[in-house]
Amino acid sequence: MIHPSLEALPRVLIRAASLLVPGADRHEWTAEWSSELWHAQHGSEVGPGIPGAGITGTRAAILFSVGAVQDAFCLRVQTLRQDAANTYRAGSAARCGLILNLACSVGIVAFLALPGTRNTILPLPYRDAETLAVISSNGDTGMQAPSIRLADYQEWTSDTAGLFSQIAFYQPVAVHLHLTNRRTAALSLAIASGNLLEMLGINQSPIHAASTPALPRLVLSRSAWRRFYRADPSIVGHTARVAGQTVEIAGILPDSAWRLPGHVDGWLLEDPHGLEILPPTVRGFVVARIRSEAFPPPHAGWRSMEETRYGVESKYECGSLSFIAERPLLAFSCCLLLALLALPAITALSLGDYPLSREPLHRSLVARRWLFLAAKLLLTPAIAYFWTADLAFGSGVLSLSDASAVQAFASFLALLFGFRWVLQDQRRRCPVCLRLLSNPARVGQASCNFLGWSGIELICASGHGLLHIPELPTSWFDTQRWLCLDPSWLCLFSDPADTTPANVA
Amino acid sequence: MPVEAKLSHTAAMILQAIHAGYLYGFSIMSMTGLPSGTVYPAMRRLERDGLILSKWEQQSIADAEQRPPRKFYRITRAGRATLEAVYKRYPLLARMIPVPEVEHA
Repeated sequence: MIHPSLEALPRVLIRAASLLVPGADRHEWTAEWSSELWHAQHGSEVGPGIPGAGITGTRAAILFSVGAVQDAFCLRVQTLRQDAANTYRAGSAARCGLILNLACSVGIVAFLALPGTRNTILPLPYRDAETLAVISSNGDTGMQAPSIRLADYQEWTSDTAGLFSQIAFYQPVAVHLHLTNRRTAALSLAIASGNLLEMLGINQSPIHAASTPALPRLVLSRSAWRRFYRADPSIVGHTARVAGQTVEIAGILPDSAWRLPGHVDGWLLEDPHGLEILPPTVRGFVVARIRSEAFPPPHAGWRSMEETRYGVESKYECGSLSFIAERPLLAFSCCLLLALLALPAITALSLGDYPLSREPLHRSLVARRWLFLAAKLLLTPAIAYFWTADLAFGSGVLSLSDASAVQAFASFLALLFGFRWVLQDQRRRCPVCLRLLSNPARVGQASCNFLGWSGIELICASGHGLLHIPELPTSWFDTQRWLCLDPSWLCLFSDPADTTPANVA
Repeated sequence: MPVEAKLSHTAAMILQAIHAGYLYGFSIMSMTGLPSGTVYPAMRRLERDGLILSKWEQQSIADAEQRPPRKFYRITRAGRATLEAVYKRYPLLARMIPVPEVEHA
């Protein structure tokens, strides 16, 4: 038995289902279902040869109305499919934008996921980073390989000559770390002066003092700690054997804390006497906190330093850590400028001639065309930056200088050919619907250029117009020219324009 | 013809019913025994494919009979051609829903 209050339910169902129907069809759809429901309930004739019989009872009316929900749902799905097909059909601006956004998103995700790339945009995690410098005896090359002798470092520690407030030394070496059960593991270690980490001002993780003062302290990177000790938190304070020497594990540092030249898994902090065991000619990196007033103004991040000792004049260079950290971004900016300068050499900058027609394009269509171009021009450098940074810094194998060079070369090519594609793509699109033009046809003969026009003609599949590209630019036809077709031509096209009547002023 | 190949038995039944003179969705339901949730979406697809045409009856006729106007469906020329082809695939279709000798408009 159906409750009398449910008698209105069929009509409510139809009303509710009508919300699923696209707005343009909703009124007619509701009218048809309401009418059918009325006729069904009133038992009007159902067809030839069949006696008039309608549905009886509220239950039957409700079941009949449930069909309206299915019908509305099918109609909605059908409309969505058609819309999707129209929007993302080959050559559409939406599809182009989607692909560019997807490429940019993938580049950004990889950029953020890879530790080597992420560090290129993060600020240096050091205290007063602008006063930190790496001293090199041979300029930029000294940033890739150790160039300062230990003896020179020891001289500077005893006499800073007013140039440095603090100075530290480290030498990356490959050693073996003795683990339990007679197992050993290869470790890339920086044998460093005891003040290195303290001078950098890394405060992300505490470094403990050695419980046995005679033992050197070993600080492990977080990745090495996970790899060798399975992230055991109780390992700090224990001793370990490194390269035949007993050391005390003093702390764990995040991988992102190390932004100096050389890839290391750990730091062996030696006191001055510990470093004296090393031969004085051994070469390493020297990091110093410089007194800016004692140096001439920097040139591209480098300050020169001349020193005369025992009658011998030596020349060193101090590379600012801040400048080195910003180098990838600076290199990319230079490449961007160079690519823009070189662009006219490989493609024309003109977007073509769009003569005024009797029915000029609506402002919104013109604005949309320029916005589409602007979006492509913005997305192209973003894609080039993130993808080339992933390529150069993602593996973490290349040194900073090598990776910067790889990124600079790759980004220059990507930017140059990316901008070329942007302009060529824009020229090959219909100014009304922004779809790629199709059906190229060769018209005329180049040998008859003075007698008639020759070139390539492309057409908009929606019937908005034709594009004429001259084979040989002449004084009367020097660039491609758009010919707008009025709506009377639409009947000739199988894929009629969907924007013309509404959007043409 | 691609449309012929796609026509299911249900769609063919509905097309045959319209051809036989059952012009309204509800009358097709009664004739074929199919539920409303099948008949109406199928008719929309047939109309989209150009096999049938829909039209609203005149308001004046409905007003005179004091009822809401109805939307009726008619088979098109393409629909008839499709139906002829469909008979080969579903030979019992014409006997299941016979077409009266005098066709209704």
